[in-house]
Amino acid sequence: MSSIYATIPKTAPFSEEDVALLNRVVGPASPVQRAWLAGFLAGVESVQGAALGAQPAAPARPAEPITIVYASESGNSEKLASDFAKSARKNGLKPTLIDMADLEPSNLTAAKKLIFIAATWGEGEPPARAVRTYGELMADNAPRLDGVEFGVLALGDTAYAEFCAIGKAIDARLESLGAKRVVDRVDCDLDFAVPAETWIGNAVKKLAPEDADRGRVIAVDFGAKEGAKPAGSPNTDIVEAEVTELINLNSSRSDKETYHLALSFDGHAPEYKPGDSLDLYAENDPAYVDELLKLAGLSSDAKLRDELIRTRDVTTLSLKSVETYATQTGHTYVRRLLDDGEAKAWIVDRQLIDLIAEFPTAVTAETLRALTRPLAPRAYSIASSRSEVADEAHLLISAVRYRSNGRNRQGVASNYVAGRVKRGAKVRVKLKPNKHFGLPAADKDIIMVGPGTGVAPFRAFVQERRATQAAGKSWLFFGDRQFTHDFLYQLEWQDALNDGSLTRLDVAFSRDTPEKVYVQNRLLERRKELVEWLDNGAYFYVCGDAKNMAKDVRAALVSAYADVKSLSPEDAERAVAALERDKRYLTDTY
Amino acid sequence: MADDDLSRNEHIKQASAYLRGTLAEGLKDGVTGAIAEDDQQLVKFHGMYMQDDRDLRPERSRKKMEKAFSFMIRVRMPGGVVTPQQWLALDHVARTYGNGTMRLTTRQTVQLHGIIKSNLKAMMREIDKVLLDSIAACGDVNRNVMSNPNPYQSRAHAEAIELARTISAHLTPKTPAYREIWLDGEKIAGGEDNVVEPIYGKTYLPRKFKTVIAVPPSNDVDIFAHDLGYIAILDGAGDVTGWNITIGGGMGMTHGETDTYPRTADLLGFIGTGDALKVAEAVVTTQRDWGDRKNRKHARLKYTIEDRGLDAFRAEVEKRAGLKFEAPKPFKFTSTGDRYGWTQGDNGNGHLTLFVQNGRVADLAGAAQMSALRRIAEIQDDVPGGDFRVTANQNIIIANVPTAQQAAIEAIAREAGLLAPWSGLRRNSMACVALPTCGLALAESERYLPSLIDALDVSLGKHGLSADDIVIRMTGCPNGCARPYLAEIGLVGKGPERYNLYLGAAFDGSRLSKLYMSDVNHDGIVAALDPLFSAYASQRDKGERFGDFVIRAGFVAKTGNGADFHANTGALKDKTAA
Ligand code: SRM
Ligand SMILES: Cc1cc2nc3c(=O)[nH]c(=O)nc-3n(C[C@H](O)[C@H](O)[C@H](O)COP(=O)(O)OP(=O)(O)OC[C@H]3O[C@@H](n4cnc5c(N)ncnc54)[C@H](O)[C@@H]3O)c2cc1C
Ligand SMILES: Cc1cc2nc3c(=O)[nH]c(=O)nc-3n(C[C@H](O)[C@H](O)[C@H](O)COP(=O)(O)O)c2cc1C
Ligand code: SF4
Repeated sequence: MSSIYATIPKTAPFSEEDVALLNRVVGPASPVQRAWLAGFLAGVESVQGAALGAQPAAPARPAEPITIVYASESGNSEKLASDFAKSARKNGLKPTLIDMADLEPSNLTAAKKLIFIAATWGEGEPPARAVRTYGELMADNAPRLDGVEFGVLALGDTAYAEFCAIGKAIDARLESLGAKRVVDRVDCDLDFAVPAETWIGNAVKKLAPEDADRGRVIAVDFGAKEGAKPAGSPNTDIVEAEVTELINLNSSRSDKETYHLALSFDGHAPEYKPGDSLDLYAENDPAYVDELLKLAGLSSDAKLRDELIRTRDVTTLSLKSVETYATQTGHTYVRRLLDDGEAKAWIVDRQLIDLIAEFPTAVTAETLRALTRPLAPRAYSIASSRSEVADEAHLLISAVRYRSNGRNRQGVASNYVAGRVKRGAKVRVKLKPNKHFGLPAADKDIIMVGPGTGVAPFRAFVQERRATQAAGKSWLFFGDRQFTHDFLYQLEWQDALNDGSLTRLDVAFSRDTPEKVYVQNRLLERRKELVEWLDNGAYFYVCGDAKNMAKDVRAALVSAYADVKSLSPEDAERAVAALERDKRYLTDTY
Repeated sequence: MADDDLSRNEHIKQASAYLRGTLAEGLKDGVTGAIAEDDQQLVKFHGMYMQDDRDLRPERSRKKMEKAFSFMIRVRMPGGVVTPQQWLALDHVARTYGNGTMRLTTRQTVQLHGIIKSNLKAMMREIDKVLLDSIAACGDVNRNVMSNPNPYQSRAHAEAIELARTISAHLTPKTPAYREIWLDGEKIAGGEDNVVEPIYGKTYLPRKFKTVIAVPPSNDVDIFAHDLGYIAILDGAGDVTGWNITIGGGMGMTHGETDTYPRTADLLGFIGTGDALKVAEAVVTTQRDWGDRKNRKHARLKYTIEDRGLDAFRAEVEKRAGLKFEAPKPFKFTSTGDRYGWTQGDNGNGHLTLFVQNGRVADLAGAAQMSALRRIAEIQDDVPGGDFRVTANQNIIIANVPTAQQAAIEAIAREAGLLAPWSGLRRNSMACVALPTCGLALAESERYLPSLIDALDVSLGKHGLSADDIVIRMTGCPNGCARPYLAEIGLVGKGPERYNLYLGAAFDGSRLSKLYMSDVNHDGIVAALDPLFSAYASQRDKGERFGDFVIRAGFVAKTGNGADFHANTGALKDKTAA
């Protein structure tokens, strides 16, 4: 990028001298320096911005309003949305940031410029918090948006069949409601940083007021680069930690393996809060990579081997990679698979290795690189509170193992921990704060539903409440397969009940009895007390499996309300929806 | 007796409100698999033991889990008799709630292991549906009443089992706690009232109490090992004219404490059939009042007899029962073992006795014995009197098989290895449960004896003794659950892979054995016995039993009725001299 982009325009709200002065610094500055400066100012701004309220940082003249909506579960879209806001503000726009969870679609009609940054979850579903609004937006009675200019950035994961489904749907919906697409949608994979940054740059350029060069200020990656984060926010850089404990908590008779992983940071533990997660940067299974290289006829390439093990996603098989394989190898069968439209079905439960094994052909290192995307980190709820474990962070990781299409499959990160990492080893992690899943005021009661690894954040909650002597009561619902072999942290819960940091614990073990019992069954059994607690202002937390558990638990709570307060199904549903709106029904599911 | 002298269990019983304790509350606590410490004593009276899987102990706390607690349920079944329908119910709960196996015991009951607390009530309801219960199968009360299990061979056996049922019913605790806790029965008001237990009272007996009934010539119930025994005395026509009463037998002892010892019962005298129940009650109440409630290791009837003397005890029983004992009538026992295979009952039906190694009914690779017995039970289900009968040797009898079904049932049994031609040693073997469930085990027993017998069979084969009946019994600790001190070869756990070797008991169960070697391991046992087998093979008199031979040949001293059990122990002559 050439430096003219960075010269401060005369129209800037500075005196002549200041402009000259600034240009002397900014003009020759390297991209990095400029990036830092921009980030720094934006950071400072975003902190004060709140205080200054409507006051725009850059232009003197009234800035044009722009609404930025994000539909986010694990925070990526949310982060990008605030990056967008910062860049927009610097470019003469007056951004309003809003979580789709809090959006009333009817208010959109007033918006002149509208940006959606939306992630897709579940199997092509909206992030949990956004479900309600998303439904309203898609409903027939959704408001017309004629004259609204919009653009959509979609986040997703090509590993999923419904890649970026929600972003795509919103993009189409806004158009059908009469809004005008002024920025084309971009669908981001897990390595979204660069494409998202570029998209934001272009979008701001398009939407910022035409005058001057302002519109052409490049957007800056506000990501985890040093100094780029707003003052006072925790360190979200990748840091090294030492594995100080690694215990399979399931009994040797269990058919599951769930690991308690204790990480120690010698002094620089990220300042996490109960409810936050850690991104774990895992490595691939060398045995798998070796087999892959053997099939590709690249066994001799040591450099490639190392690169694949450490940095590439060598397991995920997406339509994109099938396409790449067909094009670069010219494999006729694979091409036919795509042309016949059978590829989408074929890749289900298959991995990259199946593609090369079932359609063998000589593959170059380049092709193999092109077939893989960067290896993305895996998120794990932090199972400890710093007030109890100080410089450590604990994770609870279930080993993902299954068989499909004649092969034994092993989840990359969970088996990296379960099988390849040893005590004393170093692993790389990154804090993933979660504003939407924290503890309430100390005097509030909490109800925690966390079967399986879903219990992880609640161990952090209970530790925190013990350390802070919180007055609020706490009630945990835990479940797993067998009482005797799968009762994770059993002794710790018993202690917590004794010292009062846990008020109540109800358990559901699905394989101890002929008829399976799950947490949602226990919730129903205890419905009277449950509704009592909630009427007294208790917060309701759900963590763990998103596919079934989270839905069943919500349904159970609805019928609990219906039964206890003898409400119609609709009214019971509204009661729970109200909890969600009040942010007293909080989920962290995966 | 000053209250504070009493043993802890006496206080627990006293405070338990007739065996209720805090069991009902404890069952509701889903966070632990255990129950309160005092309740662990009380729950025995309900027929259960809280245990934990000792194989898993080493890993539990590291995995942040409490011990792998579960419960063992012992069913009460006088004379070892269950209907096919009841057997099927037990098989079902064992597979649904238990560890997938059933355990035939040395006292003719069935034990189910591995039932977790949260499943106890569900499983108790299921056995209740088929009219089975477990009350008083354990605890300081009269336990399951044993009786020779094959009543169809003669009217005498019929009377024996009838008496077993009568005594069992009469001496079963009357407390409503059992139905209250396990079957959500009505809580009877005034449970505190003494009339609840007319025979036992609030504190029941000082210790467990065991009653058996034998019909000569078979001593399969090991009559001399029990607190109270009835020996049927028959007239020429095979009718029971009355009973010889035995009292004061018991096996349990503690290593290194010579004031604890096994004891063979004494003959108290003869009574007519009409007085049998009166005597049972009088013996029980005398032991209730005379037994030692301070020291549980000295609380069994056998010690009461030693302390007070047989005559004093007899006099007291005569007083309480309002009768006089006649001199014991002559009788003769031939063996303590079972007769395998078919026997014809006088009603024309066949009874099939099956060998179940150490009583463990399971589906193992190549021997699906649990499934086989299930199929047999299904076939026998509608046959009148087609009972299953657990023997005192941990085996099972399929009673009253109509001629038409005999071939089919035999085929099933044979295929499952329940009729295999075992060596004379194996078919006379018993081992207690021990590891991993028994909390008192010092060494393996049930899981080890089969492989020890493999080794001994080689040595026996070498000396041409494979077919000879020799009684061998093993226990994992000195409590003597498999009556090892009445076995010609007795092995008693001392520590991991270490056993005490006892020799010289009588084949008919009338004489205790004597300690021959201490702390021997597998190789030591085989090495110690091989020369004795060789000597037995070459030097025995005609028909002489191994247990008698080792005494006559001077390898080991003879034991009297128990007090001398710990006297002149050890090998009397260098084994190699044999
Ligand atoms: C299952 C069985 C052995 C077997 O392999 O069949 C058995 C198993 C146990 N016996 Fe026994 N005893 C069994 C027959 C016996 C016998 C044999 C007999 O009665 O003919 C004896 C020796 C006779 C006697 O009572 O002296 C026997 C003497 C003991 C003792 C020592 C009693 C004493 O007064 O010395 C104990 C320990 C105790 O009571 O303190 C004991 C305790 C136990 C316990 C319950 C251990 C405990 O107290 O925690 C064992 C449970 C192990 C498990 O995991 O199942 N068991 N126990 C027998 C069940 C009988 C039944 O169905 O009622
Ligand atoms: C916010 C958040 C918090 C999380 N917290 C935790 C936590 O505390 N503990 C925890 O263990 N996990 C947690 N997870 C999940 C975790 O991030 C990983 O997804 C999980 O560990 C699997 O990663 P992996 O690399 O081992 O498996 P991968 O290599 O990513 O493989 C997983 C993939 O394999 C496929 N797959 C898995 N099972 C089957 C099957 N049975 N049949 C067919 N295909 C299958 C699916 O496509 C699945 O996406 C969390 C996730 C999120 C988003
Ligand atoms: C449990 C789970 C399910 C997901 N399902 C999909 C999906 O169906 N389609 C898709 O394109 N991406 C899917 N993703 C990927 C997310 O959209 C992606 O991680 C995105 O960056 C999350 O953004 P957020 O942090 O704003 O929620 C899924 C991710 C997780 C953890
Ligand atoms: S003899 Fe000892 S080890 Fe064997 S079952 Fe009885 S108490 Fe347990």
